[in-house]
Amino acid sequence: MTSFLGYLVNGLSVGLTYGLVVLGFVVIYRGTRVINFAQGSLLVLGAYLTVRLQGSVGFIGAVLVAVVLTAAFCVVLNRLFLRPLRKAPQDIPAILMIGVDIVLVADLTRRIGSDVLTMNDPWGSHNVDLGGVLIAQSRLVALVVSIVVIAAFLAANKYTSIGLSSRAAAEDRETAALMGARLGRVSDFAWICGGGLAVIAGVFLVLYPSPGLVSDTNTVAILAFPAAIIGGLDSVWGALVGGLLVGLVQSFGSGYQSQIDFLGAGAADILPWILMVVVLLIKPTGLFGKQPLTRI
Amino acid sequence: MPRGLTIRRPERVGVADPPTGSRVLDVDQLTVRYGANHAVKGLGLELAQGTTLALLGSNGAGKTSLMRAVTGTLGFHGGTVECGRIELFGREITAADPAVISQAGVALVPEGRRVFKEMTVEENLLSGALSLPHGVSRREVLAETYDHFPVLAERRRQAAVLLSGGEQQIMAIGRAMMSRPRLLLVDEPSLGLAPVMIDRIAEVLAGIRERGTTILLSEQNPSIAMDLADRVVVLRVGSTVLDAAPAEIAGVEQLRDLYLGVEEVEAAEAAPASGDRPEPTPRRPRAGRDEAAIALSVQGVGVKFAGLTALDDVSFEVSEGSVFAVIGPNGAGKSTLFNVISGFYRATSGQVRHGEHVLTSLRPHEISRLGLARTFQNLELSEENTVLENILLGCHLTSRSGVLATALRLPSARREHRELERRAREAAEVVGLVPYLERNCGSLSYGLRKRVEIARGLVGEPRVLLLDEPVAGMTADEIAEMQEVIARAHDELGLTILLIEHDIEFTLRLADEVAVLDFGRMIARGTPDEIRRDPVVHAAYLGSQAASTAAKAQPLDEGIAR
Repeated sequence: MTSFLGYLVNGLSVGLTYGLVVLGFVVIYRGTRVINFAQGSLLVLGAYLTVRLQGSVGFIGAVLVAVVLTAAFCVVLNRLFLRPLRKAPQDIPAILMIGVDIVLVADLTRRIGSDVLTMNDPWGSHNVDLGGVLIAQSRLVALVVSIVVIAAFLAANKYTSIGLSSRAAAEDRETAALMGARLGRVSDFAWICGGGLAVIAGVFLVLYPSPGLVSDTNTVAILAFPAAIIGGLDSVWGALVGGLLVGLVQSFGSGYQSQIDFLGAGAADILPWILMVVVLLIKPTGLFGKQPLTRI
Repeated sequence: MPRGLTIRRPERVGVADPPTGSRVLDVDQLTVRYGANHAVKGLGLELAQGTTLALLGSNGAGKTSLMRAVTGTLGFHGGTVECGRIELFGREITAADPAVISQAGVALVPEGRRVFKEMTVEENLLSGALSLPHGVSRREVLAETYDHFPVLAERRRQAAVLLSGGEQQIMAIGRAMMSRPRLLLVDEPSLGLAPVMIDRIAEVLAGIRERGTTILLSEQNPSIAMDLADRVVVLRVGSTVLDAAPAEIAGVEQLRDLYLGVEEVEAAEAAPASGDRPEPTPRRPRAGRDEAAIALSVQGVGVKFAGLTALDDVSFEVSEGSVFAVIGPNGAGKSTLFNVISGFYRATSGQVRHGEHVLTSLRPHEISRLGLARTFQNLELSEENTVLENILLGCHLTSRSGVLATALRLPSARREHRELERRAREAAEVVGLVPYLERNCGSLSYGLRKRVEIARGLVGEPRVLLLDEPVAGMTADEIAEMQEVIARAHDELGLTILLIEHDIEFTLRLADEVAVLDFGRMIARGTPDEIRRDPVVHAAYLGSQAASTAAKAQPLDEGIAR
């Protein structure tokens, strides 16, 4: 029972972190209709900037500066390459983002090399004893910070005028523009949110108990993919639910690895993908995705 | 728009409006095109402060394109302003950003309402205030809007999707008014609404006019427009055919003639040899056939969607070899009927028979195997494939070679492919597409693409061809060509044709027999001549008030037959 509680808290924490990655992806998709294949490398970029900056401005300061720099990078990307493509078919910006991903990954891999870069965070490798279960302090912090960030995002979406513009544009870009929503600003806002969320998720994904930032950390972000599909590509709540489900399935899967050994060693790693296939079979648009309606 | 052009935001709060009579909107020589298709041609329009101008015209007349041009949203539909200028308060706004135009004081109530379904009523209204200057209190404007539209206040927390069509229309008007516009554009507010709701919308618009807002209204229903407007402009295929005050319009007859093009039909009938228009070919069931044979029999068909009655007890028979047309205003149930006949929708009651087959219990592909081919209103073509390939898609049902034989290119499969290609070329010849066979569909004009659809229907050698709005959105020239194409297909292949269409002029020229739908009921049926003179049909198209005024003013047989 105690181990169950441990897996649950771990799963929730990792799941919410995945949720942040997916949320960034979904926000960019809703605001710009761009499928951002570079979300994983943005995450590594953020973590790398944090590691490099923490010596001079401290850990917390480094995270904040990394968020600003990554968001700025995204806005430049948006203005320079993506806005001019806004009338092109959807697959063209998506392919562009695959290119951006390749460039970022190649350069960051070169910089990181074979090192394991560790965060100089205040939580270190401390554990908290929760009724007999040891949980990494950083995981609890990740849980709390994720909840705060998500709540702040949802509030901004509901109560600010850029949030209202974004939601209107996500539903019907033309009508939103008619009402006075600036689609250019809406897309900048989406990229700022998407970039910022990627950095926060990236930092938590390399904190203890992960060893640290290595050249293939971006593969961790691959798990955001089944999470996005499970939730539905265009739903904010779907992003969170999808992230949580993947986190929980992964955590319980590896926790009870011995019970599912009959499936073969490492079966836990494929559980999120199996879940994705099952969801796709039952509901091809994802749990919260919209059914496209066409009139014949 | 020239880069860097800034439009000073008009001071809308606390400053008196310019005196009545000053120019709000000035459209000069406006030409709008979508690809190769011209939707508006050299249109001029002026709108004075505090006045209401109504744009009339049937589908494809250019009303919506004009509204899109004024609001800067043509780009969302692949359209561009080819030439001409649009000025708002003397400042050019041609092709400016929609958000900038909205800040300059223009608001649009779009066709089909376009409410944000996932948001609440209040959030929808607040989205309308996005273009308000920062200093204006949203709460105040919201309270004002709730005062004017109490029904919205009651439902402020509900998701917009839960509102009825009429309430959504009121919300869309309220949303537009949230920006305190100086020019309100209203596109087809009565579309698809029940008569009692139409009256309510008319009241709402009259209230807005009383409060001094300048309105540009587009309507297919002239009786609303004539009541509200200070000036009426009738458009046909992108150009103005009448610009007058309602009082100057000599009764509804003049409007009806311009609007429905009845005058031209009569002129064409009077002088059939004139040569610059296609002659109306008399359509008769082909000789050598059993005249009494019935190709399609629609028996008491009713369709309900979630309590909404889309079709109610519709019955008619289509004789073998004839051209049968179903007409009616938007929202009359034409497309629903079509989808029932072709098996895409299920009838709630009644049945459709083709010989001994009951179509209403079959699936679309089974119906298609029986020799009933249909075209779609929205083009369903593969843009990256050639015309020939698209036409060939229409014969996969009759193809007998298996996957293996085709993949291995066995002689039998190659023989069959040659045969299918020959048939595709024949079909292309009937619709006049031979020169375009190797072109990609994406590069063709709208009118030609419509013909590809028809050829694809023909290549399966159907007995009955169902045409879903074959000339919707076409220019006059394209309509005339399409009429010839359909007439040729009918004559050369001896098909039975069932078509639904908005364009009455076109339909009455082509059909042997016509059924008229309105609000899901069949309100008239007869030959084109009978339909042209039927007062019930006039009421459906022109609004009941207009028709009764017309009836009072002149006895119908005199007034209309002349």
